[in-house]
Amino acid sequence: MNFTLFFADLWTARMNLLNGLGQTVLISVGSVFLGTLLGVAVGLALTYGHWLLRFVVRIYTDFLRGTPVFVLILACFYILSVVGIDLSAFEAGVLALTLFCSSHVGEIVRGALSAISKGQTEAAKSIGLTFRQSFVYVLMPQALRQILPTWVNTATEIVKASTLLSIIGVVEFLLATQQVISRTYLSLEFYLFAGVVYFLVNFAIEQAGRFVERRIAIPN
Amino acid sequence: MNMKLVLATTFAALMAAPAVAQDGDKLKEVLDRGYLILGSGSTNPPWHFMDGDNQLTGFDIDMGRLVAKALFGDPDKIEYVQQSGDARIPNLATGKVDLTCQFMTVTAERAQQVEFTIPYYREGVGLLLMEGGDYADYEALKAGGSDVTVAVLQNVYAEEMVHTALPEATVDQYDSVDLMYQALNSGRAEAAATDQSALRWFMVQNPGRYLDAGYGWNPQTYACAVQPGDQRWLNFVNTVLHEGMTGVEFPFYSASFEKWFGTELESPQIGFPVEYK
Repeated sequence: MNFTLFFADLWTARMNLLNGLGQTVLISVGSVFLGTLLGVAVGLALTYGHWLLRFVVRIYTDFLRGTPVFVLILACFYILSVVGIDLSAFEAGVLALTLFCSSHVGEIVRGALSAISKGQTEAAKSIGLTFRQSFVYVLMPQALRQILPTWVNTATEIVKASTLLSIIGVVEFLLATQQVISRTYLSLEFYLFAGVVYFLVNFAIEQAGRFVERRIAIPN
Repeated sequence: MNMKLVLATTFAALMAAPAVAQDGDKLKEVLDRGYLILGSGSTNPPWHFMDGDNQLTGFDIDMGRLVAKALFGDPDKIEYVQQSGDARIPNLATGKVDLTCQFMTVTAERAQQVEFTIPYYREGVGLLLMEGGDYADYEALKAGGSDVTVAVLQNVYAEEMVHTALPEATVDQYDSVDLMYQALNSGRAEAAATDQSALRWFMVQNPGRYLDAGYGWNPQTYACAVQPGDQRWLNFVNTVLHEGMTGVEFPFYSASFEKWFGTELESPQIGFPVEYK
């Protein structure tokens, strides 16, 4: 490995790589945020919905969870444009990752809610709380503690899946790295660098998750 | 996952769906829009890649610039869609790009899905030698028989490909381009067999060190491509490329050719059109 050349080329390509990293962060934050909003709705529908709604949402989650993200990305980009919805590569990519994220968050929320024993809901009812109140004050606080670790895991999965957007032409961090490699031929050095950067991003997310977990933990 | 297969399947699904609405006047659409949407890659020098200033550049990009210049008098009026090689055909089929110039090999199968323009380059395999090495040219390599070792990028057909040109040569396969060039530099191989364009580009970057053995084989035609069904647009792009190679835009084309492939082109003969010779 030639690290003198690597650092020189890294400096030359810094703006390209930073732009790429910016795209990766934007894609990930956007998809996780939107995916979480949608996913909570999916989780609630799966837990408390009318049987017909539950059935439809169940198909939605199973279909999305059973489809490779890669295929979802291609579908959002190409199939939607055939039916007249012309999304840019960036929008199509974020949409695909949002859908993927929502199905996972939906399952996480459903799992957390159904893990809370029935006695809790009954106790809430017996002291006269409405469904809304019992959800906000009794169920959600407990479910959140369950959700957080797996939710953080989903977020890191989305960061990694964002690399797939390069196939439809979004210049995220991996494609930006490949562009530098194609010019410099320093493949080992730059792929190693990309690996370290992705690790750092995900490590930061995990640490942030741990921090929040500690803050919201029930004191012994 | 097999990317090609997935894309092929997606593409088949697209073909089954009703064709993308098309009013058949792409030229007007592009002129009204004020810029060309060009599909190309960004990771293959000297064809299409990011230079040190973070600008897309290369021979493919120059062909797109030639078309933009013809449309608007300004080669910079381009919006690039940076696509992977596998996305070339789907992006044309769904109208995401006006034109794709991305070292696209013309094949009959592809011609059933897109419409190719006239060619702007003929790719082939060539042999790279060290300047002042033991073998001066292709004839010397051929005479060298099995004493000659040829470095080549690993590939199922690599051995067969080299033996087409040098039937007795020893073939050493390497995992990456830099290793292949290193084998040549260190004398572990007497020649490296690679695409003519890559070989030329390498020689441009390292002047005075290497030599082209002067023999090319395995011809492949590179052409731009457009969505089928719009003859006017196809004719327009054809005319632009044609005049780049033979007419008023020859200085643009030849300057680009020399920049990426290091060869100065001879000016088209004046008088009787070269096309009919």
